[in-house]
Amino acid sequence: MELSNLNMYTGGVLSMLYSAGPVAKAVVLILLCFSILSWTIIFFKIRQFNKTEKDGERFIKTLKEIDSFKKLVSIYKSGSDNAFYRLFIATYKGLSSTKSENPGITKETLERLENILKITISEEAERLERRLSFLATTANTAPFIGLFGTVWGIMDAFREIGLRGTTSLAVVAPGISEALITTAIGLAAAIPAVLAYNYFLGRLKGILSKMENASIYLLNSIEK
Amino acid sequence: MTEGSWYKMLVISTILHLLVITATSIPARKYVKRLDLTTSYSVNLVGDTAGDLSKGPASASSIGGTAKTETIAQKKETEKVTQRKKQMPQRKESKIISLSKKKPPLKHDTPTNNNLTKDELNSLERRIKEIKKKTNYLDVTQMGPSSGTSGPAAGLKGSGAATQGYGLPVSSFGSGIPLDLVSQKYIFDIWEKIKQAWGLPGSYASKKDLESIVTIKIRKDGRIIDINFEKRSGNRLYDESILRAIRSIDPLPPIPPSFNSDTMEIGFRFLPGDIS
Repeated sequence: MELSNLNMYTGGVLSMLYSAGPVAKAVVLILLCFSILSWTIIFFKIRQFNKTEKDGERFIKTLKEIDSFKKLVSIYKSGSDNAFYRLFIATYKGLSSTKSENPGITKETLERLENILKITISEEAERLERRLSFLATTANTAPFIGLFGTVWGIMDAFREIGLRGTTSLAVVAPGISEALITTAIGLAAAIPAVLAYNYFLGRLKGILSKMENASIYLLNSIEK
Repeated sequence: MTEGSWYKMLVISTILHLLVITATSIPARKYVKRLDLTTSYSVNLVGDTAGDLSKGPASASSIGGTAKTETIAQKKETEKVTQRKKQMPQRKESKIISLSKKKPPLKHDTPTNNNLTKDELNSLERRIKEIKKKTNYLDVTQMGPSSGTSGPAAGLKGSGAATQGYGLPVSSFGSGIPLDLVSQKYIFDIWEKIKQAWGLPGSYASKKDLESIVTIKIRKDGRIIDINFEKRSGNRLYDESILRAIRSIDPLPPIPPSFNSDTMEIGFRFLPGDIS
């Protein structure tokens, strides 16, 4: 007999949720958290990927223009947050440490540099990939969590129908429509996550191949 | 990418979700409102009612003195209701079921008074008819003959239990002790008030299978202190329109002193047909 019952059908999804059971509310809360987190990751990754890509293009451009490594170091003095620059610094450090022992560039030195570059690239890939797995998790589990809420709600609805003893559509429909909300929210959380995950995987491949190109370019210029 | 930008993204994401949530709830609200406003109406049904009612288990239990009789009485009542429904599906019924659980006046408490009550009834019946003629209160005669035990007839095919006209809740199930006229009119007036306050979308008038039974408890000063669904129709909008209607008539005039009790409990049956 609470007054709040009056507004059950005057609102939209929110008020329907208000009248739903505790399980449905918990499910919706979990899904909302999933959705908010996955969107946070999406926004963050878009920025990170854009920045890395732009940095890479600029780095390769300057690398082509400048012939001295020392000049490059002075240009990127402050830009430590550049993945390509880290690639370059790692090579530079490796090169200078071998140079102190052996001034000439041998095949061994090049092999060592190649290994250093490989390690740096995989480290950078790990940085870019980090937390993308959460998107995959959301994409996989959110529909199931929503489905769980729906099954529970329909279970409740049918039990209520049994208690009331009437089977008209007017009795069945509200319970089921309430129950279906959770599936809808689960899908709403999962679909952007799937799309974003695939999109980021594609972009990651592009960035990694750019890094490999840059590292080969570095090695070539060192060889010369 | 620092921790700070994570927070920033989290805030952006939360704001985005809030926007989506509000966006999904606002259009629905508008839509429902329009549905309510354009099609709902209420009609005054004075003169269009045939009362039928059954007195609640109160006096039955007062005579039988045990809870057992009460349950039997309730069973009888439901049987009667369903039977009636079958017999007269088209008929517009006013459904006033008095469920006064308080004991009626003391004199009815002893079984020895049973014989007296029939005489009382007959005289009461006569008096009621006289008064109704005088006041032109409501046209009872068209409702059919009395079922015999008590009160003005509602034209119900009496199933042994007392049936009365006009929502005049008279004790049924053997005792056949009618409420005094003032209380009867009081209850009938409440029903009229509720019906006037009750509005529903027009499409509901044709939904014959919706039925709700609501009991309300009225304090001596006329305040409704409890509304209880004995039976829900299952359609939430329907049930809520009933609730709204009942709430809108609160407070009612004080209970007539002749009712002789601190609270009054009245049951109403709501069918969509009552509206149009």
